[in-house]
Amino acid sequence: MTIRADVTVLGAGVNGMSTAYELCKRGRSVVLVDKVVMGAGASGSCDDMILLQSKKPGILLEMAFRSLELFRDLEKELPCDIEFDTRGGTILIETPEELAVMEDFVASQNRHGLAVEIVDARRIRELHPHVTDRVIASTYSARDSQVNPMLLMKGFFLGATAKGLTFLRRSRPESLSPRNGRWEIKLSTGETLETGSVVNAAGAWANEICGLLGLEFPIAPRKGQVLVTEQLPPLGATNVWSAQYIVSKLRPAGVPAPGAAPWMSGPEEARKAADFGLGFAFTGTHSGNYLIGSTRENAGFDKTTVPEALGLLARQVIHYFPVMKDVHFIRTFAGLRPSTPDGMPVIGEVPGFPGFFMAAGHEGDGIALSPITGRVTADLVEGRKPEFSLESFRPERFLEGQGDLDEAASG
Amino acid sequence: MDREENYICRCEEVTEEEIRAAIRGGARSVQEIKRWTRSGMGICQGRTCRRLVERILAEELGLSPGEAEPSSFRPPVRPVSLDSMDGSKE
Ligand SMILES: Cc1cc2nc3c(=O)[nH]c(=O)nc-3n(C[C@H](O)[C@H](O)[C@H](O)COP(=O)(O)OP(=O)(O)OC[C@H]3O[C@@H](n4cnc5c(N)ncnc54)[C@H](O)[C@@H]3O)c2cc1C
Ligand code: FES
Repeated sequence: MTIRADVTVLGAGVNGMSTAYELCKRGRSVVLVDKVVMGAGASGSCDDMILLQSKKPGILLEMAFRSLELFRDLEKELPCDIEFDTRGGTILIETPEELAVMEDFVASQNRHGLAVEIVDARRIRELHPHVTDRVIASTYSARDSQVNPMLLMKGFFLGATAKGLTFLRRSRPESLSPRNGRWEIKLSTGETLETGSVVNAAGAWANEICGLLGLEFPIAPRKGQVLVTEQLPPLGATNVWSAQYIVSKLRPAGVPAPGAAPWMSGPEEARKAADFGLGFAFTGTHSGNYLIGSTRENAGFDKTTVPEALGLLARQVIHYFPVMKDVHFIRTFAGLRPSTPDGMPVIGEVPGFPGFFMAAGHEGDGIALSPITGRVTADLVEGRKPEFSLESFRPERFLEGQGDLDEAASG
Repeated sequence: MDREENYICRCEEVTEEEIRAAIRGGARSVQEIKRWTRSGMGICQGRTCRRLVERILAEELGLSPGEAEPSSFRPPVRPVSLDSMDGSKE
């Protein structure tokens, strides 16, 4: 069977679904294809934060601001509740050294229009009565928000379906061929798609699709493991991170990583935590389950959770919130963030392959950035000028030396 | 029995009507139903409700159970206290 449409979107995570939704809204006919089901990738195995505070001033912060506005519209516009909520966020600070780094960071954020303050030990205990005595200060940003990624995907799906979306599950492209200015896509389930454009939104798996064209991007899975607790009464006012991780991310090249955290048994455990890329993110969902994360591991496409990493996550949360020691966890999961070497997603048309667009590589920000990603990708597909300069996201930056692209396309 | 009271997922209090509504809305897998309705996300991690959800899914799609859901099922953990994960105490 041949299905003709305007656009094929490959990958039903938040970014593919946001793009499909936006295109359907603009009256385009869209076929969305996923090799598993919706949410089978990172978007079904992640936290729920729309985090502004973690970002250095720059294009990603600008886009996160815009997404926040768009989430407010989506909340009204999508056919189901998406549990969007602005609870604010805090980054816990334990040492004077961390405080010094965070003060500089926060000052630069304020200069760029993101209001963040440093609050003292007393104020942080008002926000988080259960926090450990070791915390000497914290950041506070009132605008950090949350959205339920599962419901966001459901909303995009229902909204797009109402406007004619075709969704093919458990199917993947086996070939992609340019034909008379359009694309012919043969699917593993037997259908042939014939569409004007193709959007690759397959997250960490984007190269499975690029490989069909002889292309390869340095988009690699970065695994994050998470513990899910039983349902609890609210423990505090905001989402929480620790400064330790952000400070280690911000430290200038050449400055050694900080030593063992106070809760670690010694250098051996500090090394293990560093190997797992351990960070601290603690967020309460609408249903009352808390998510305790997470790691950042280069471990290929393996999605198993390992007791060693979960043990570190458990001890870390008990360190910050001693009451957690009596809490049960009911589930663990791992997700694969689509990471790139420069921390920027790949969004744009691939030179030499007219009508083939990339929208992948959002690493730890894909939920937060999905509304704006859908918009700008739809603009590109329609040949309109997007509302942001996508200069930093251009696919070209990773394609130097991959042969003559024009020749590849005509061959 | 009042249909509203017909809970398929007792842990998360999801009714049969809600499961059927999700399928009619376009959910086509246990994973999708779980993500939309929370059925299977409760403290028993679907031990009680998963089979029932599979059966309703098959019924709504006119398939035999098993046909509707080819994906694999990860065995859930039993609730474990965070403290017992503390390897340094063993
Ligand atoms: C532990 C953890 C916590 C996180 N917390 C946050 C957070 O708080 N806030 C935030 O903004 N982000 C967070 N993220 C990041 C976020 O989850 C990702 O950036 C985002 O989900 C990526 O979405 P995507 O649509 O680009 O890709 P994915 O959701 O990975 O979707 C890709 C889809 O493509 C499909 N696919 C793969 N190969 C093929 C193929 N060959 N053909 C067809 N389909 C294919 C897959 O099945 C999958 O459904 C977190 C991630 C993790 C792992
Ligand atoms: S009955 Fe559904 S999770 Fe327990």
